[in-house]
Amino acid sequence: MLLLGTLLMGITSEQHSSASSIDSSCNPSAAAGTSSSSFCAPIQSNNSTRFDLSTDLRLGLSISSSYYNDLFPTPTTTTREQPLSWPPIRSILRSAHLDKALDQKQAFLFIKIYMEGIPIGRKLNLFAQDGYDSLMTTIAHMFPTTILCPGADRVHSDKYHVLTYEDKEGDWMMVGDVPWEMFLNNVKRLKITRADRC
Amino acid sequence: MMNYFPDEVLEHVFDFVTSHRDRNAVSLVCKLWYRVERYSRQRVFIGNCYAISPERLIARFPGVKSLTLKGKPHFADFNLVPQDWGGYVQPWIEALARSRIGLEELRLKRMVVSDESLDVLSRSFTNFKSLVLVSCEGFTTDGLAAIAANCRFLRELDLQENEIEEKKNHWLGCFPDSCTSLVSLNFACLKEINLAALERLVARNPNLKSLKLNRAVPLEALQRILMRAPQLVDLGTGSFVLDRDSDDSETYRKLRTTILKCRSIRNLSGFLEVAPHCLPAIYPICVNLTYLNLSYAAGIHGSELIKLIRLCGKLQRLWILDCIGDKGLEIVASTCKDLQELRVFPSDPFGAGHDAVTETGLVAISSGCPKLNSLLYFCQQMTNAALIAVAKNCPNFIRFRLCILDPTKPDPVTMQPLDEGFGAIVQSSKRLRRLSLSGLLTDRVFLYIGMYAEQLEMLSIAFAGESDKGMLYVLNGCKKLRKLEIRDSPFGDMALLRDVGKYETMRSLWMSSCDVTLGGCKTLAKKMPRLNVEIINENDQMEFAPEDSQKVEKMYLYRTLVGPRKDAPEFVWTLV
Repeated sequence: MLLLGTLLMGITSEQHSSASSIDSSCNPSAAAGTSSSSFCAPIQSNNSTRFDLSTDLRLGLSISSSYYNDLFPTPTTTTREQPLSWPPIRSILRSAHLDKALDQKQAFLFIKIYMEGIPIGRKLNLFAQDGYDSLMTTIAHMFPTTILCPGADRVHSDKYHVLTYEDKEGDWMMVGDVPWEMFLNNVKRLKITRADRC
Repeated sequence: MMNYFPDEVLEHVFDFVTSHRDRNAVSLVCKLWYRVERYSRQRVFIGNCYAISPERLIARFPGVKSLTLKGKPHFADFNLVPQDWGGYVQPWIEALARSRIGLEELRLKRMVVSDESLDVLSRSFTNFKSLVLVSCEGFTTDGLAAIAANCRFLRELDLQENEIEEKKNHWLGCFPDSCTSLVSLNFACLKEINLAALERLVARNPNLKSLKLNRAVPLEALQRILMRAPQLVDLGTGSFVLDRDSDDSETYRKLRTTILKCRSIRNLSGFLEVAPHCLPAIYPICVNLTYLNLSYAAGIHGSELIKLIRLCGKLQRLWILDCIGDKGLEIVASTCKDLQELRVFPSDPFGAGHDAVTETGLVAISSGCPKLNSLLYFCQQMTNAALIAVAKNCPNFIRFRLCILDPTKPDPVTMQPLDEGFGAIVQSSKRLRRLSLSGLLTDRVFLYIGMYAEQLEMLSIAFAGESDKGMLYVLNGCKKLRKLEIRDSPFGDMALLRDVGKYETMRSLWMSSCDVTLGGCKTLAKKMPRLNVEIINENDQMEFAPEDSQKVEKMYLYRTLVGPRKDAPEFVWTLV
């Protein structure tokens, strides 16, 4: 499991286990300076040897589609310098479907939301929200607390809570730092955590 | 004996020789045939605009009426070629205009077109009839206004997937009232349109056979347009949405009645926005369709899609999104027995892939549709067993392009590379001309390609191979190879330099994120003066005293008769 975690995260971390020969300079959000590839290549950059799959295959791991998704995360709303080059589809088709997926009135994205201390969670349709403000308002109606917005002064008290989310990599992050569309593409579940825990 | 025939007779015989390749072959027979052929040639195809100059084109073919030009390399479609790389049509149009060539048709792909070019084009050729722009950029609707206003005999204006800046000028209204010769009009890639001008234009052009609308044309307008043009053969709908309230049921009813009269429609596309409950309006024409393109219709899925497909028994070409799923493909396989071409695009290129297709869908298609000869398939996974079955069921592939979304994924059942599967495809489809590979692949797949793919002309490689041997198998084995494009594969100088003469038999070679070095590219450029070896240097990685041992991020080389191009931007270095 550790190696799988490394596989999923090794592309963004500098250190990795010596058992794998992943190129650690692969980071889609890094500017030029690490890899000279124009996008994040899972295999190699100019300076490294080819990605060795044999270790991972021996361990019974396969490079799953979640690995692929981590390498090629959300597109148009990132601040990366280079547009995406994989999968090989034309930009026009790519952006047509991204817009479609996001403003599909019929579609929904229900995710679980828990508040710390309350064992029963709720479900919330993220596509029904317009953005962070709308999300906060909806949550305020669902749960009995005040949620501090990102950027507000941190109050270390058990009376206030902050909103966090689990992303595709399994990390818990503060809600509000990234553009809304990028958040939609990465969020798996929400948690309302006590402010003094952050 | 042919020498005793007057030139007119030879010319008349050559009139029956229409393909570019055949005419090229005719011109090589002897000096007489070369001369007669060149004066009678009307259609010229130039696959790489930098391989020759407009002046030489005009000198050799003074009678040219139709010109096709291609600019940027294919991987430009996937954002691998930076802006301002090149591919300008301006010098071509200027030269043709100066020379009084009677140009009637211009077809451009991946070129940079300016408003000025379009303006000059529209004013310089009185018989200009047909403009087809595919994946071009650099112009605005002002340029389109010039074409509309000045080309008095325009028959075709076909804009496919271009990036066009839209101004507020209602260019469509610039077609004069006297314009009644239109046969084909496609503006699907635009965002806006002047509806009133469109309806008037359709009304006065009774020969219109092909019409592709954009998103800004609502259903009500489509109904009125179809009333005026029931003779259409080729229709691209715009927006296909009606709200469910009662006011619009009248519109829907009218649409159904109108569509019933459109008995000639054989090709259907568009649905850029679609409400599934409106789809039954098109059911009556499905039975006649031979081409259906739903690749932009993300709003149709599941049961509505299947209902639609079940009605299309005569389909020969189907372009669809992967939300059809394997089950949907099984329906296609049992319904569309005449299917020759299938393209399955990813509907959610960045998502977790809930709706997607796998090897199961492809095997079903191959069993049900033995006439399949052209495939583009984006999928989650593929197995060797499936590919071997597909190869057995469909031995007639001309184009086979497989894209596994996770680019180095092995066969998920056996965990093996997909060498054997692709090997089966190239061995069984003896007429294969185009191949794209993906998945985990070793050098072995290239051994098979070199051995069996005798007719292969274009090969696309990504994240594949283990060593230079892979690339060498291909270069040595594929005698008819014209275009080779490789990314993120471990091929280096040894493979690049083994047979430098090979590249003069090809149109072009693209290698990015491979192991070729600056030194290797320089050596090649020095040995082969009739190749342009261009390095694209985007990230200033080579700014400070580049060393020969440094790997080159992007290299594009092509044969040319006119030396290094003079319009290369500063980030493109042509090595000499």
